[in-house]
Amino acid sequence: MKYLMSTIGRKQLMAVTGLLWSGFVLSHMAGNFLMFVGAEAYNKYSYFLVSNPLIYLAEAALVLTILVHAVSGIRLAIQNRNARPQKYSMTPSGDKAPRFQSRWMAFHGSLILVFLVYHLITFKFGTYYSVTYDGVEMRDIHRLLIEVFQSPAYVVGYIFCVIAVGFHLSHGFYSSFATLGLYHPRYSAMLNKFGYFYGFIVAGGFISQPLYVFFVAGK
Amino acid sequence: MGGTGTTTLNLKLKVWRQNNPQAEGHFEDYDVEGISTDASFLEMLDVVNNRLVKEGKDPIAFDHDCREGICGSCSMTINGNPHGPQRGTTTCQLHMRKFKTGDSITVEPFRAKAFPVIKDLAVNRSAFDKIIASGGYVSVNAGNAPDANARPVPKDVAANAFMAAACIGCGACVAACTNSSAMLFVGAKVSHLGLLPQGDPERERRVLNMMQTMEDAGFGNCSNTGACSLACPKEISFERIANLNSEFLRATVKNRNTSGSVG
Amino acid sequence: MSMKLDSKIPGGELEDKWSKYKFDMKLVNPANKRKHTVIVVGTGLAGASASATMAELGYKVKTFCIHESPRRAHSIAAQGGINAAKNYQNDGDSVYRLFYDTVKGGDFRAREANVYRLAEISPNIIDQCVAQGVPFAREYGGTLTNRSFGGAQVSRTFYARGQTGQQLLIGAYQSMMRQVELKQVELHTRREMVELVVIDGQARGIVVRNLVTGELESHAADAVILATGGYGNVFYFSTNAKLSNVTASWRAHKKGAAFGNPCFTQIHPTCIPYSGDHQSKLTLMSESLRNDGRCWVPKKKGDTRPPEQIPDAERDYYLERVYPSFGNLAPRDIASRQAKYRVDEGLGVGPSKVAVYLDFRDSIQRVGKKGIEEKYDNLFDMYAKITGEDPYKSPMRIYPAVHYTMGGLWVDYNLMSTIPGLHVLGEANFSDHGANRLGASALMQGLADGYFVIPYTIGNYIAGQKIPAIDANHDAFKAAKASAQERIDKLLKVKGSQTVDDFHRKLGNIMWEQVGMARNKPGLEGAIRDIGTLRDQFWNDVRVSGENNNLNPELEKAARVADFLELGELMARDALARDESCGGHFREEFQTADNEALRDDKNFCHVAAWEYTGEAAATGKKNWQRHTEALTFDRVQLATRSYK
Repeated sequence: MKYLMSTIGRKQLMAVTGLLWSGFVLSHMAGNFLMFVGAEAYNKYSYFLVSNPLIYLAEAALVLTILVHAVSGIRLAIQNRNARPQKYSMTPSGDKAPRFQSRWMAFHGSLILVFLVYHLITFKFGTYYSVTYDGVEMRDIHRLLIEVFQSPAYVVGYIFCVIAVGFHLSHGFYSSFATLGLYHPRYSAMLNKFGYFYGFIVAGGFISQPLYVFFVAGK
Repeated sequence: MGGTGTTTLNLKLKVWRQNNPQAEGHFEDYDVEGISTDASFLEMLDVVNNRLVKEGKDPIAFDHDCREGICGSCSMTINGNPHGPQRGTTTCQLHMRKFKTGDSITVEPFRAKAFPVIKDLAVNRSAFDKIIASGGYVSVNAGNAPDANARPVPKDVAANAFMAAACIGCGACVAACTNSSAMLFVGAKVSHLGLLPQGDPERERRVLNMMQTMEDAGFGNCSNTGACSLACPKEISFERIANLNSEFLRATVKNRNTSGSVG
Repeated sequence: MSMKLDSKIPGGELEDKWSKYKFDMKLVNPANKRKHTVIVVGTGLAGASASATMAELGYKVKTFCIHESPRRAHSIAAQGGINAAKNYQNDGDSVYRLFYDTVKGGDFRAREANVYRLAEISPNIIDQCVAQGVPFAREYGGTLTNRSFGGAQVSRTFYARGQTGQQLLIGAYQSMMRQVELKQVELHTRREMVELVVIDGQARGIVVRNLVTGELESHAADAVILATGGYGNVFYFSTNAKLSNVTASWRAHKKGAAFGNPCFTQIHPTCIPYSGDHQSKLTLMSESLRNDGRCWVPKKKGDTRPPEQIPDAERDYYLERVYPSFGNLAPRDIASRQAKYRVDEGLGVGPSKVAVYLDFRDSIQRVGKKGIEEKYDNLFDMYAKITGEDPYKSPMRIYPAVHYTMGGLWVDYNLMSTIPGLHVLGEANFSDHGANRLGASALMQGLADGYFVIPYTIGNYIAGQKIPAIDANHDAFKAAKASAQERIDKLLKVKGSQTVDDFHRKLGNIMWEQVGMARNKPGLEGAIRDIGTLRDQFWNDVRVSGENNNLNPELEKAARVADFLELGELMARDALARDESCGGHFREEFQTADNEALRDDKNFCHVAAWEYTGEAAATGKKNWQRHTEALTFDRVQLATRSYK
């Protein structure tokens, strides 16, 4: 369809898929907070999620949307690179400099994609420990978590990537609304601030978890 | 008659020289002395050029005309900023009192695939004319118009349309954009005409055709950095791009042509 | 040589002439229009609107501009507004009043019939522009609003902030680009007309230089239209854009088109004063500012106090004092001259003492800073950027500068020059403003010519004669190309020691001192001599660097200055021959006791049209013959212009 081939069409797809993922990332972070409660709560929550038959639908949707988001993003980034064959020797600065993170969306986006794959390999497809609560056998994902976050290198890398997620969200959230055509001088300024807040919360929430494991729970 | 008038500056210029569209370009250094702080940036270049001519060298080519900030001809990137460091200003209205003696100033053309360099700092911006030709107008022949007061237009709507119509087509938005996108330029025209009742009948056709032409011309797309609006000498609001996005979506939904194309 | 100046004014009552013309004119059948090609040079208000409208009618139009985009034409810089006899304000305006104000404003040196047609068409222009989406200023109720301009006691000026020219030009440009997309207009940018091609007495094409490649290109057509603007840049310092030039008109003049009233120059009273040698041009501050700004100088000579500290009793609001009924809205020529008198009396202000104040203090007190911002924001910004001072706090300093040229190629009622087939529109022609143009009338004339006059008269010309088929390979094109190439080669070959700008500044200085705001016989005679000498020096000592085969702005400038060096002499000759003062032409020998212009209607109630008769081979001396077209006033009584 012509709309999907147009740049605005692609960007609007990115906006919609990006917003879906923003929601997912926040709920994922919130769910993970159960680790502060304890292994049992965390594992039971995980079991609740994977044992629900809708999980396949949800997973399929997540995979599909991230693929659409990434493929569109890559195509747009290539188009953008081609639009300026000869680079500048200097970039806008001072009063005319745009926000730092907005210029690097494709960069953090790619980093996040690599991280995501690695993240799935580590956790979803990582070592399967099992544990039994109330007679129900389930995966002991909490144990894996504790193990993984013992490695200082992994913790540092994880935090770095999660900060990238925060940056990506802080611009992406506000940007998505603009791309969908929702803009108002007053409310968009608020939305912009909210985007920062959102990025900060998500990044902060995710950072707290490995730090907790590394410094407290793992000892 | 400047405030001070007597102050002069010595500067180090690094200017992009490129003899023709095919040639490889390079930077050349020039030491400039005794520039009045009341001179405009272009008048500073006039001084350099006058010297180059007397030395029998080829002067620096750049586009300019009205030197009042309205024709949109001047088009250089100064230390990475299209039209220089001052917001809401074209290069011709940028005055040397914004610089300090001893400053190094790098001057490059507006760079984009859709704006090929013709010579030195002069680029070809005819892609903008093509975008306008593809839909940036109201189709009304001379002689057909009803009385000007026949359709009232609320004052704030007219003022809003005017703010969008203030675009001078200089291309600073493209030059500033990391993606060399022309979305602010297109958005300004789509808003200007779309806001007014006179532009309403062609609203959908206009936005679809102009966007198609923009893409075909080799401009990038928008990643909402807002750099365009910061660089715009007329400070056209970033809101025009958001409006362009919604107009595009609306036109796509409303388009009844089954092939997806518009006439 | 005898040149016949036939203005071809239709018969009948003044009010009926244009209707009668439209009914009587010959028509081109719609199917035949596409067989006719018309060339338009220039894409300002007149050129763009003419291109769009003729293309809408079905003619094949070829349009040329020197800019990289047609939207850059200098009409874009017009600030204040456009007049139209709409009488939306219910203040007694009418077509007749606009006509009368324009004839009187021009000091009775324009044709009644042309001016009446202009006034008659003016309301249609506003309708057309609004239909195109021009965002004029409006009232809360949604209707259009107006402001006042000099020389009128009604409010009839439509505006879009201080960017009216821009908005009108963008409207015309967009209409033209629509025709480009429809393949009715073939657009050629970065092309400069260097020769007019006349075959068997008819204008049949042009030779243009491709400014990017240096190639000369020939284009043939059934008729040629010049809409190439005015020649104020002959003064070097003017409010014109840097690229504005006389070359296209001058090429046509040398091929036989008479030049009408070349000495009629408008010096605009409110410009930002000259500040130093670095300066490349002067910037206009719109006349609309005089709606709210008051002009004054200190009463005491050598008063060095900052203007805010000078009490009202020690200020001379000289326009209000001398012209109580029009006050600060006196016409441009008069307001300029009064500023000059103050400076000559030693009352000038600012570091150079060559400026007067334009003060908004009282208006800011009356309507608030916001009210002033709403009307003039961009002008105040521009002033602040150029001078580094805040005009909301202290008064602007202004001084007159060359702004517009009422003179131009002579045209008849059809807008056709003395060369059949060559039509001239907008500022490039001499037609409607007499010896002084009223504010906000240039935009009106450019669009009237382009949207509503030429589309009719071009058909009348094309249908009215036999225009044999020719193409651009005709020998006349080859000869024109050769002569253009010779001129370019000659400029590059001199390799002297002075830059083009050096010569241009020198010419400008002669023009400003001797052919500027006040002229006299010995000064003009001196100017003619000095310009001749300067011209000889130019051809022996100019330095044009670079090559012909790529973008070379120095070469472009050199060719234009070469033409200005000839035009300057003609302007001085015209000023010398007109032994009277009228409008912008002020001869010191001819003034009233209170220093107002003294017309001589007995001897000079005519248009002077100069025919170029070639140069003396031995001395290089240029020769012209002065012809006259008598002006008759049937409806307006010739009277001494008074704004007191």
